Amino acid sequence: MKFRTILTIIGVVIGTSSIIVMVSIGNGAQKSITDELSGIGSVTTLQVYQDLSSMGMTSMGSGKTEDKPILNDDAIKDMKKIDGVVAVTPVVNLSGGEIEVDREQYGVSLMGVDYGVLEDMRYETTSGKKPGANDENSVILGKDILTSLTYTGASTQLTESEVKPEDLIGQNISMTIKRTNANGEEEIKTQKLKVTGVLESTGGNEDYSVIANYNLVTELNEWQTGKKANVKKQGYTQALVTVEDSTVVNAVTTEVEAMEFTVFSMQQILDSMGSVFQMLQILLGGIGGVALLVACIGIVNTMTMSIYERTKEIGIMKVIGASISDIRNMFIAESTMIGLIGGLVGIVISLVLSVLINLIAGFFIGGEGGVTISFITPGLVIFALVFSALVGLLSGVRPAIKAANLSSLDAIRSE
Amino acid sequence: MVETREQKERGSIKIFIQVRDLHKDFKLGKEDINILKGINLDIEQGEMVALLGPSGSGKSTFLNVLGGLVPPTSGDIMIRDYHISEMLENELCLFRREHLGFIFQSYNLISTMTAMENVALALTFAGVKKEIRKKRAIEALEVVGLVDRMGHKPSELSGGQQQRVSIARALVNHPEIILADEPTGNLDSKTSADIMEMIYRLNREENQTFVIVTHDPDTTKYCTKVIHMQDGLIESEVNQ
Repeated sequence: MKFRTILTIIGVVIGTSSIIVMVSIGNGAQKSITDELSGIGSVTTLQVYQDLSSMGMTSMGSGKTEDKPILNDDAIKDMKKIDGVVAVTPVVNLSGGEIEVDREQYGVSLMGVDYGVLEDMRYETTSGKKPGANDENSVILGKDILTSLTYTGASTQLTESEVKPEDLIGQNISMTIKRTNANGEEEIKTQKLKVTGVLESTGGNEDYSVIANYNLVTELNEWQTGKKANVKKQGYTQALVTVEDSTVVNAVTTEVEAMEFTVFSMQQILDSMGSVFQMLQILLGGIGGVALLVACIGIVNTMTMSIYERTKEIGIMKVIGASISDIRNMFIAESTMIGLIGGLVGIVISLVLSVLINLIAGFFIGGEGGVTISFITPGLVIFALVFSALVGLLSGVRPAIKAANLSSLDAIRSE
Repeated sequence: MVETREQKERGSIKIFIQVRDLHKDFKLGKEDINILKGINLDIEQGEMVALLGPSGSGKSTFLNVLGGLVPPTSGDIMIRDYHISEMLENELCLFRREHLGFIFQSYNLISTMTAMENVALALTFAGVKKEIRKKRAIEALEVVGLVDRMGHKPSELSGGQQQRVSIARALVNHPEIILADEPTGNLDSKTSADIMEMIYRLNREENQTFVIVTHDPDTTKYCTKVIHMQDGLIESEVNQ
């Protein structure tokens, strides 16, 4: 192989590996962030709300019963029937509760869910256990509940309590809520809560909430507002739908949306982040692509030189019966080979580089199980190989046509 | 040899190459230079034709036009049933592959290939399978007596040997016509005689038609027809 050809191949190697390494860094960033998000569990949980626009209509006071569906028990039953749905629970929230632990006051909000389906939901306890279906007063604590805002005198600040939520398992804590009655007097209600477990982090509101029985929270809400909840007419403000796994999230989302409810899921965030990362990869790939473009010009140059050098040979071949397409294909095959070999070597080099980058990053950043800065997918490898071969092929087209159209007699006479 | 000629003249052997009013002009700057000024010629199958003439008489150009390497300006060339003068470049390539062999003064071998590969190359374009290519290339090298040197590159061969490789290459497709442009031009007289003997033998044994451009009167003694060219025209045509 000619030195010139080797240099050209090195050009392709640099181009290909810069694309792969650049895109792999984009991949790596995406992978670590999606892994982080998927790790926090709520990927398989959909949050369902009454259609926001329909709520707008009632507030405008049209007075008529709206034709939009209401998020009530019937709707929840219907959702339960959707393929892939494991559990559906209404959610009712109560804020403004206060608990006292170790003589410190903590503001808490309660999140009431249907204990009947708690077993099926993706709420796992890190310690303790989940309350049973009929445990009216049992609760699970969010893991950050005691690191939430603590009131120390006049100022508020984020401090971590010395008491861990785990320490409260098995204990009864008392929570107080307040209301202002019709006479403008403040009333206080104390509710005993039995802590059975601490919830694994979900990354959502749950971390800062107390998970309680739906019935209990409704009762407390009714006391606080002084009104009976009318689920049948007004519906729940929110429901949580737990699905089998992440593959059915989008299908279930579509079906629930078809019921004219607003759905919010981690999957949607991941999807929208996906397009951001795609942009990032195109950008990074484009930077690598510049190197491949330069390599492409190198191939054109090498092929053109090669044709000048082999003009006589081309002439001879044409005289002894090579057709125009024979000559053209010969040179295109040669430049495609340059691209392909460059691509293959480039892939090997990028795989090595990727491992090195991760090793070095791991060394500086630390962390268990290594760090993923650069992540090469099989798809990326195949893309790089096809792309480099294609670059070689396309670079060869013009020189090859030039070679094929040489006059055989002129070519054979050249020295 | 005389017998074969007489057979041809009396028999029904048809005209194999027919050239009618062939003109070829070259542009040199703004001027048109007339190289061929109306050539008429008939060649029968199995003939061995010598084209003689001083430089610039147009003999090489005539050979190249005959082989379809240069298109004529006007006139007609028919080889068997093919109108060479009307063919497109790609058709000409196919035609050359099947019907024509070329031998050049400067051998025109590919320097990076061995003798065997050079000979087999012509078959590659014809789409012949690799084993068959090799077998036929060796056969062709046997004919020219160079089988023992088939693994050598052109630079490792003498001029005469190189010319024999190029003859083997011209033969390997079993073409009906072989066009030779000064095949002995670069060779000493002893080697020239060897090469001409070989061409003569092929002409008789394979009944291949040869058109040989030469300026060496010695080579004409092997030929059945000697054509003298002068100023782009045929001056004399002698059957012998």
